[in-house]
Amino acid sequence: MSRLLIEGVSRTFLGVRGGPPTRALEPTSLTVADNDFICLLGPSGCGKSTLLRIVAGLDTPTAGRVLVDGATVTGPGADRGMVFQSYTLFPWLTVKDNICFGPREKGVPAAEQERLARHYVERVGLTGFEGHYPKMLSGGMQQRTALARALANDPKILLLDEPFGALDNQTRALMQELLLGIWEAERKTVLFVTHDIDEAIFMANRVAVLTARPGRIKSDVTIDLPHPRHYTIKTSPEFSAYKARLTEEIRAESIRAAAMR
Amino acid sequence: MRPLVPVTSGTKVALGVAFFVLFFAAWALATLGEYVNKTFLADPLMMVVAGWRLLTVHGFYLDIGVTIWRVFGGFALAAVIGVPLGILMGAYKPIEAFFEPFISFARYLPASGFIPLLILWAGIGETQKLMVIFIGSFFQLVLMVAVIVGGTRRDLVEAAYTLGARSSGIVRRVLLPASAPDIAETLRLVLGWAWTYVIVAELIGASSGIGHMITDSQALLDTGQIIFGIVVIGIIGLVSDYVFKTLNQRLFPWSLA
Repeated sequence: MSRLLIEGVSRTFLGVRGGPPTRALEPTSLTVADNDFICLLGPSGCGKSTLLRIVAGLDTPTAGRVLVDGATVTGPGADRGMVFQSYTLFPWLTVKDNICFGPREKGVPAAEQERLARHYVERVGLTGFEGHYPKMLSGGMQQRTALARALANDPKILLLDEPFGALDNQTRALMQELLLGIWEAERKTVLFVTHDIDEAIFMANRVAVLTARPGRIKSDVTIDLPHPRHYTIKTSPEFSAYKARLTEEIRAESIRAAAMR
Repeated sequence: MRPLVPVTSGTKVALGVAFFVLFFAAWALATLGEYVNKTFLADPLMMVVAGWRLLTVHGFYLDIGVTIWRVFGGFALAAVIGVPLGILMGAYKPIEAFFEPFISFARYLPASGFIPLLILWAGIGETQKLMVIFIGSFFQLVLMVAVIVGGTRRDLVEAAYTLGARSSGIVRRVLLPASAPDIAETLRLVLGWAWTYVIVAELIGASSGIGHMITDSQALLDTGQIIFGIVVIGIIGLVSDYVFKTLNQRLFPWSLA
């Protein structure tokens, strides 16, 4: 069953000070099945974040529509949780209260909120930090909290906009394993935006490669690697083959993107 | 000295006190050394004697009490109406479009210029004093609060939307807590301005208060009393500022490093 349907979605931004309008996204269509883990892979500025924001309901498409379980998306909602690239924890709330934000907004009873918070704090490995404010946490810990906050709301679809982009390489690798572990255990529908080829292959079961701006889906590659995936898979010949193929595809687009600047 | 390098708390206090000492030393030198005519500027000792006389003989503490009540009364009135209105304007753009032009105009109307008019309307009683302070602080306060609330980080608002928050939830659970420390800081600032307006209000048509004592002393050429009155205002300002700062730090621990 298709959980998420993106139908001919395009986005054009109005010109700045009478300048010509900018086409960020060509009409794009994508069908996402239940429990799919899809990575949108593309060079920076290719419109992949724009597409994700449209799915989240934070931006409106110029044409086309997005359907979740058959219903057209008209705005943001709790059924589509999001983790942003920037640190967006509420600075006035502790780790625990950040995680409880969504459930509390839904009117979940306090005892159940407590249980959810405990479960997800443990899930992302932040036990002992429940009472900390975001300012006291490292970048990796903040993003883990943001992930727990999105998951605690039990969304149908999890949207991630380069969530590990600002983290160092080692933390980033650990975060990928953490997210993949959660996905393997709880099976969520995930749409993950990244420009990192390794990240995309390691986590996704489908990688949609976007062209340089204006973006459109250039190819849709199924990643046929077994689950659960161990980090050692990154050095396997199958992984390398996917990497060689995607590198070729992305390279051409990056060159085009660089030429346009 | 290197730019932006912090000082230890001991050094900080010592430096702060040092300037006070220097200031009073310069004043003492100018007056006690008879470089300045005593008719125009009392020396520190004269000020202390005049102050003691004011407090023990003339019941000056009653004037101080009246002035403090006026400041906090007018300020509280401005805050109780101004803060909610500012929040609504910051959060809802049509409300802002409705009030903003008028308030921007009104905030340039000098509060002291209203005093003659307010005396005509409300006499020279407490109502008139409160109104001067209200006019002086209300419009500024509303605009500053609206700017603070309107400037809430957009990514936090978006995050709240993706967590299922609706309009009222965004205002109550994102805009309000996000702007609370800055609003408190603005209140501290505006309270300082309220102190200036109260003295102006008391200089004209008042029969009590620190400002009234200052005008009376002018007629008596008692510069010691005038300076004492000004120093008292300074001390009260310093204390209330400190209380406000401490309170803000207690209330919003998360906004500090």
